[in-house]
Amino acid sequence: MDAVSTDRVTFDLAAATVRELNAELHAPSSKSYAVLNPNGAHAVAAGVDTEITVDVRGHVGYYCAGMNDGGVVTVHGNAGTGVAENMMSGTVRVTGDASQSAGATAHGGLLVVEGSASMRCGISMKGADIVVGGDIGPMSAFMAQAGRLVVCGDAGDGLGDSIYEARVYVRGRVGELGADCVEKPMRDEHRAELAELLAAAGLAADPAGFRRYGSARRLYHFAAHNTY
Amino acid sequence: MRAVLPGAPEVLVTVAGDTTLLAAPVGVDDLAAAVRAAAPGALVVGSGTDLTVYKGTGDARTLARTYDLAAAAGWQGLAHTRMATESAVDAEGCHPFSVGPDQCLVHNGSFANHATIRRELRREGVVFDSDNDSEVGARFVAARLAEGDDLHKALRLLCERFDGFYTLLVTSGDGFAVVRDAIACKPAIVAETGAWVAMASEFRALAGLPGIDRARIFEPEPETVYAWTR
Repeated sequence: MDAVSTDRVTFDLAAATVRELNAELHAPSSKSYAVLNPNGAHAVAAGVDTEITVDVRGHVGYYCAGMNDGGVVTVHGNAGTGVAENMMSGTVRVTGDASQSAGATAHGGLLVVEGSASMRCGISMKGADIVVGGDIGPMSAFMAQAGRLVVCGDAGDGLGDSIYEARVYVRGRVGELGADCVEKPMRDEHRAELAELLAAAGLAADPAGFRRYGSARRLYHFAAHNTY
Repeated sequence: MRAVLPGAPEVLVTVAGDTTLLAAPVGVDDLAAAVRAAAPGALVVGSGTDLTVYKGTGDARTLARTYDLAAAAGWQGLAHTRMATESAVDAEGCHPFSVGPDQCLVHNGSFANHATIRRELRREGVVFDSDNDSEVGARFVAARLAEGDDLHKALRLLCERFDGFYTLLVTSGDGFAVVRDAIACKPAIVAETGAWVAMASEFRALAGLPGIDRARIFEPEPETVYAWTR
């Protein structure tokens, strides 16, 4: 195997293309990268599949760190639609706000949004952990299948609509719950996993202040009263 | 043109691609009527005392040079590139739809019930230039503004009446407003500073603005009207 440098490599997107950046990140010659001047570019650090560290200095566009599988990607700014969508493993952190569909369909790994996330956060998530320091928008965790979504602020309307087995923890106000999403009791095991998630995210919130939401499992089976 | 205008004033004519810009010291309606009389085949794509509308098809950078946008000055600007879904790719189908005095509307999305509302507006005497669904939104807003509603109220009423997907930006003679449909299907981002407000589909379009680093950046909530005035 080729020797992999531990020196930090810098990519300036004012001079290089995203395609060049991602080609390097897919066959990395270093363990550590800095990306400058993203200026809202799409697909920054998408498809990383090794345990490299990528620090993006500025705001990114759509699908940043999409399909991440092992990388530690930090956006020092805001992220556009679909940050860490379909993540498999690794850690993606956004120090600012995230747009719609953050962590959509993500199977694994940890997504941390230190600010707020917009609508459809964790839509159809399949096993990832998502921790949001601020609020999440309406229609979040729609059809969320597995994983944990932690919200230190408020959640918009339609939370957890048609949710499967994902667990949702919210500290603030929750709007109207989506179909088949209900509040559930916080037991010791939930407080423990919540404490772990907050610690992993580096957020100081007290687990005692959160409520838990999940599926009432009423949509799992055919119901005769729903027939025409 | 001069012959049909009251007082036979000088008319300043500037040709920019498919668009011909006419300016004269007369009332807006008089000038628009004179254009329709002098050039029956031409479509008046916008009119006002403080507004210029350019429409055309082609590469956006080339069109920006054709219209000399780099030298444009003013207090409010609106640009839109269109991926056509509901009507033909031609200058007529281009946004903005400017169908009221100093007004413009751009629309990302598609209205589901535009044919119904077009029929209703036609019964009230409203005339349409195209089969475009977005024009129906613009005509609806123009009718509300003509009735004395402000942008905020006009867009709230639009939300009640229109089905489908929409992120809309509407400008008037004293500001602009933004609204999105109930599930916020189409993207929108707003940047606000003490000196200016800007809205775009995505951050990339705002990245070059002066002072963007210090702007308050947020996404408009669904079915919430955001309005700014001068």
